[in-house]
Amino acid sequence: MPPITTGLALVIFAAGAIAGGLGIVLGLGGGIFLVPFLTLALGFPLKSAAAISLTTVIATSSAVAAARAGNQLMNLRLGMLLEVATVAGGLLGGITAQMVAESTLQRVFGLVAIVVAGVMVGRINRRNVILDEHVDPGRLGGRFYEAESGGIVTYQIKKVPLALIASFVAGNLSSLLGIGGGIIKVPVLNAWCGMPLRAAAATSALMIGVTATGGAIIYYGRGDLQPLAAAPAVLGVQVGSWAALRFAHRTSAKWLKLLMAALLIVVAGLMFARSGL
Amino acid sequence: MIDTGRGAGGLELVIGRVLRIGTVTSSAFLAAGLLLTIAGTGASVAGILLPAGLIILIATPAARVIVSVVEYARERDWLFVALTLTVLLALVASVVAAFWGRAPA
Repeated sequence: MPPITTGLALVIFAAGAIAGGLGIVLGLGGGIFLVPFLTLALGFPLKSAAAISLTTVIATSSAVAAARAGNQLMNLRLGMLLEVATVAGGLLGGITAQMVAESTLQRVFGLVAIVVAGVMVGRINRRNVILDEHVDPGRLGGRFYEAESGGIVTYQIKKVPLALIASFVAGNLSSLLGIGGGIIKVPVLNAWCGMPLRAAAATSALMIGVTATGGAIIYYGRGDLQPLAAAPAVLGVQVGSWAALRFAHRTSAKWLKLLMAALLIVVAGLMFARSGL
Repeated sequence: MIDTGRGAGGLELVIGRVLRIGTVTSSAFLAAGLLLTIAGTGASVAGILLPAGLIILIATPAARVIVSVVEYARERDWLFVALTLTVLLALVASVVAAFWGRAPA
C-alpha cells in the first residue's frame, strides 16, 4: 500500500473523476476503470483497490439514483427483486475467491464481456419498447416518459430467472473485483428481458449501491479499506458524475450501446492481459 | 409524473431524498477530513471525519432498503416486504462476515 501523499490524493481524485464521468455516460459504475488504474498504475494491492472502488460505486449509485428519482426510469420493484440475487452473489463472492484462482476469474470475465458486446451490437436497432399506454406492464414491468420517442414507454419483464442469474453473477463479480456489476446486468436486462436500455441502466445504477455495500462492509471490517485513499476517490467520482449527468442525457441510446460494446472489448483485453494469458 | 397506479412515485421521491442526504453528508465529511489531512492540522479530527464519512456513505443504500420495507408494508405488499427484508438480512450478514474475517485464523 503506497503512502497517501497530497500528490497521490490528487491523482486518485482525478482518476475518480474520470472513472465517475465515464461510468455515468456508459451506464456503468466506473470501477472497471478505477480498479486497473489503482492496481497497475498506483501499486495498490487488488483487495485495497477493490475496496476503494466499491466505495466509489456506492457514491455513484446514490448520486445517480438521487438525481434520477422522480422520472420513473428506475424500476424499484424489479430492482429489489434482483438485489436479493446481487447481495447473495456478493456474499458468496468472498467464498468463491477462496476456491477459484483470480486469473481464472479474469478469463471468465473477459469471455463474458466479449459475448455481451457481440449481443449489444447485434441488437443495436432493436427497441423493446411499446408506445401504448394501455398495455399492462405487469407486476415487474414499468412505464416512463421518453422525450426521444415523444411518448410513454411501457415494457414488460421477460425471463425473470435469467435476470436473477445475471444479477447473482454481477453481485459475485462486484465483491471480487470491486466493480458495480452493471456491465453484466444492463446488457442482459436490455437484450433478453425486454427492458429499455435507459430503464435498465437507471435500475442497475440504483442496485449497485446495495450490492457494493455488502462487499464494502466486509473489506472495511477486515481493514482493507484505507479511508485516506477512499476519500479522494469518492469525491472525484462525485465531481465526475455530476459533470457527466449534465451531459449524459444528450447522448442517444444507440451511441450508448456502441460505446458500451467498445468498452466491453477493452475491458476483455485488459482482463486477459492481467490473467497472463 | 406518470401514474403507474401503485404509489411507486412517492417511494421513488423518498428514496431520492434519503440518497441525496446520505451523499451530501458523507461527501462533506470526507472532504473536510481530506482537507484537514492535507493541511497537516487537526489530524485527530480528520481521523474521526474520514471513517464517519465512509460509514455514512456505506449506510446510505442500507437506509434506502429500510425506507423501502416501510413503504411496502404500508402498501401491504407482503411479497416485497419479504424480498426487501431478505436484502436487509444479507447486509446484516455482511457485517457478521466482516467481523468473522477479523478473527485470527
